[in-house]
Amino acid sequence: MARVALSEYAAKMALHTFLGLTYHGLSFNADTDVVEKINEFVRPDRKYVVKVDEGVKRRMKQGLVTLDTDLNGVILAIENYRKRGYSYFLVEEYVPHDSSLEKYLSLERTTLGTVVSYSHKGGIDIEKHKEEVETLLLKDLQAARSVAEGLGMDEEVFLKLKEAFDDLYFSFLEINPLVVKFDSFQILDIAGEVDSAAEFFVQDWSSSDFRNARASKLTDEEKNILRLSAKSPAAFKLNVLNPDGSIFMLLSGGGASIVLADEVKNIGHGGELANYGEYSGNPNEEETYIYTKNLLSLLLKSESDKKVLIIAGGVANFTDVRITFKGIINAISEVSEKLKDQGIEIYVRRGGPHQKEGLKLISDFVSENGLIGKVHGPEMILTDIIHEAIK
Amino acid sequence: MRAGKIENSETMLDIEKLRKQNHSILFIGSYPAIIQSALDYEFHLGRDKPSIKAIFASGRKFERYFFGKKEILLPVYSSWERIPEKIRNGITLFVNVASARRVLTLTVEAIDSLPSLSGGVIFAENVPEKHALDLRAITDSKNIFLIGPASVGLLIPETLKLGAIGGVESQQLIDAHIFDAGSVAVLSASGGMTNEIINIVTGMNKKISFSMSFGGDRFPLLRPSEAFLAAQNDPKTKTIIYFGELGGVDEYEVASLISEKKVTKTVIAYIAGVVAEIFPQAPQFGHAKAMAANQKETARAKRDVLAGVGVKIAESFSQFVDLIESLPSVPDDKKSNIIEDMSDRKHALIASSISKDTDGTVSILGEDLLSFSKKNSFAYIVSSLFLGKKIKSPEFEEFVDFVLRLLVDHGPYVSGAVNTIIASRAGRDLVSSLSAGLLTIGPRFGGAINEAAGNWLEGVMNNKNPGEFVEEFAAKKKYIPGIGHRKYRSDYPDPRVSEIISFSGGLKGKFTSFAREVEKITVGKKGNLILNVDGAIAAVALDILSEKEQYSNEELLHLSEIEFFNALFVLSRSVGFIAHFLDQKRLDEGIFRLEEDQVAQAEIHKE
Repeated sequence: MARVALSEYAAKMALHTFLGLTYHGLSFNADTDVVEKINEFVRPDRKYVVKVDEGVKRRMKQGLVTLDTDLNGVILAIENYRKRGYSYFLVEEYVPHDSSLEKYLSLERTTLGTVVSYSHKGGIDIEKHKEEVETLLLKDLQAARSVAEGLGMDEEVFLKLKEAFDDLYFSFLEINPLVVKFDSFQILDIAGEVDSAAEFFVQDWSSSDFRNARASKLTDEEKNILRLSAKSPAAFKLNVLNPDGSIFMLLSGGGASIVLADEVKNIGHGGELANYGEYSGNPNEEETYIYTKNLLSLLLKSESDKKVLIIAGGVANFTDVRITFKGIINAISEVSEKLKDQGIEIYVRRGGPHQKEGLKLISDFVSENGLIGKVHGPEMILTDIIHEAIK
Repeated sequence: MRAGKIENSETMLDIEKLRKQNHSILFIGSYPAIIQSALDYEFHLGRDKPSIKAIFASGRKFERYFFGKKEILLPVYSSWERIPEKIRNGITLFVNVASARRVLTLTVEAIDSLPSLSGGVIFAENVPEKHALDLRAITDSKNIFLIGPASVGLLIPETLKLGAIGGVESQQLIDAHIFDAGSVAVLSASGGMTNEIINIVTGMNKKISFSMSFGGDRFPLLRPSEAFLAAQNDPKTKTIIYFGELGGVDEYEVASLISEKKVTKTVIAYIAGVVAEIFPQAPQFGHAKAMAANQKETARAKRDVLAGVGVKIAESFSQFVDLIESLPSVPDDKKSNIIEDMSDRKHALIASSISKDTDGTVSILGEDLLSFSKKNSFAYIVSSLFLGKKIKSPEFEEFVDFVLRLLVDHGPYVSGAVNTIIASRAGRDLVSSLSAGLLTIGPRFGGAINEAAGNWLEGVMNNKNPGEFVEEFAAKKKYIPGIGHRKYRSDYPDPRVSEIISFSGGLKGKFTSFAREVEKITVGKKGNLILNVDGAIAAVALDILSEKEQYSNEELLHLSEIEFFNALFVLSRSVGFIAHFLDQKRLDEGIFRLEEDQVAQAEIHKE
């Protein structure tokens, strides 16, 4: 995987812990947590903030934040957000503050080093005064000093924050607003992205804290593939573009899969493209079977009356064609009658280790089961399979 | 608010230099299919021996591979110190196939431990971004190149295949026609597309000058712009074929190299990812970097900037193929047509390095059995076979000869002899009775030479002082193997020990000195804690092997791990056991049985 959004709760907890500060907040999963959790957390004499905590951007503008409310308000807000498809929430005490103290700070890991953007005017309207945002590369102490000065912050405190950014493997961290009072500060709102590849090296967050802004809209099949990918050293991706599309693609290779998808769009059939996805990194037979099974489930559900399955990829370096094709065949064989009933055709183009055996297996399978389709090796130009499949 | 353009830099990747160098390659981690494919590549190039020298991994001491149809053993080392200096100092390239978690540590260690290193490839996917940046900072200060992470590697036809690039099956390599060098450089972040394009190029009778994948991670250690510079600097390359994807700003760097005339060779490129335009939200494609964060990072924008500086941009993949086809063709390659089929090879059940039997002619250590045995003494044959190679020094031969004679028997009372005698009297045959004696050999009987050797080695290698060495045993309440005798004392010394020690005369003798220093301390504690026969043999054998046979400490440690030092005792004492067996048979003694008063009825007293 790559950069992923961390829940605001986990980001705040990890940062506060690193800085030796305490953080009081309630992370509430409406699908699994009981309402008593809120009752225990909320005190009758205090006011609270409720936020949707799913990596969604511009929450305030989308009405996904409720400010200055009591117990009943908290429960009501969560109920309303649930109706809009959200499950994860953050409840915190409402901190009234002077909005003139609101600053903006973001850090991002780039190819040159850490780039900092900051402004003494923060808050939800940051986009409106973009020209006041300073951006600089944090290349030495002098650079850190000017950021600290610009924010009216103690230099040591800022450096500690930068250390937290590195040690917690953040890739991107945006604090807005940041309320600064020289040697202390309050982090009111955080958007944090971490490097999922670093999970092994940190204790303060884990993959269960990752949030996907699209999660509420994902199909079961997409969720299954996210789980499959998380568990495997190989890589799997599946995005549904159009559930009732007619072109379903079972692709391999990060690069080749984009080329093949591009070609569908290039020849004017982008609107019929049901999915984008790929498997790579030499998955085993079982994993390829699971991947295929989920894709086939989407394929069979589609209401389109003319459907096609394209199994394609480049000439692999080390992904074993025979083994991955065995997994694909196992999954197809479970639904081959349904594929025939729906008149779904199968088009294959692939190369790589043991391609001869792999291509023969699938070619024999297609003909022995009376399926309609064509099988090609690398002698066919990669994208020609798209032309053959979409006549 | 992302970072802008970065400065153009020079690259440490010098393809022409790599062509001219003689390489020694180390694999970090073991990925048998990739290692085998690199060996196959070199074999098909017509090399008589592989440039892959070793594997850095835990597990077995050797891994078996093919070089052509012949099986070879590649040594496996589990620590940097264990790699013999001669190999370690000669390594010029590495392929790191270890897991993502270990990439940073192992790569840093490799850079620190390999003085002749030119560069390496990192294969693992999912290396944290920060680790990649840390590694980049390290390579920036050294004279080396690193390709990856998540890279299938670097291919330079006629020279080397560093990684999975080009395929992992022998037949794939042959079909890809990648043995003859041409003038087309193929560069891509995508490993799969690198191979796909190599196959397109060679399938149209054009040849590769070199090819590499820098990996699809966000911060490739060797940046695309550096790969372009390497292609520009390479005298063999005339055309650069580039496959890029949406996401990141690498193409802007490349475009400025071209507009600044730092890259002047013809560039043909395809930037994939226009399909992202039909997604409702910027999607994350297969590679970590493949996501357009803003308009500038889209495939369309990057195509435009490259087209703007004169790159031949393909609007579709078939147009890309047509552009490749328009390049000049070269005559069919020589090498790929004469390559032998490797599909019928299979691994042997057993590997042997000391002897063989070819059509009834037996040879020992490469020499005909008969001439070998006529020419050499028994001690010479024993030491050479036990060490797996012919010994060089008369000193070791003389020492082994003496030890074999000295250890032959130690009277009928010792436990091994007793067991042989009992088995023999029970009516068992020669082999059974001998085995009964041999099975007695272990930590308390006869097996101490090896343990003593291991301990002397450890003491000397870690520069322990003898006092500290003794205290470690005392703290664990353990005897020191090779120290102590039942009968002899410091004032009544064992005459055999001085005979053994005399073989270290004329040597520097660091092991013998260490053993004697230890003895000085132990006899101070108790008079009978003298250096005994086992300890002395171990120390002197180590010294002679080290000084006269040039064994490194690591190699000696390995000898002790495989019980070489005990082998001398086992061989010699077998003579004694056989003699006791024959003696008993001649005497025709009846079955042995203990009397009642010879067994105490033990009562354990508990408080």
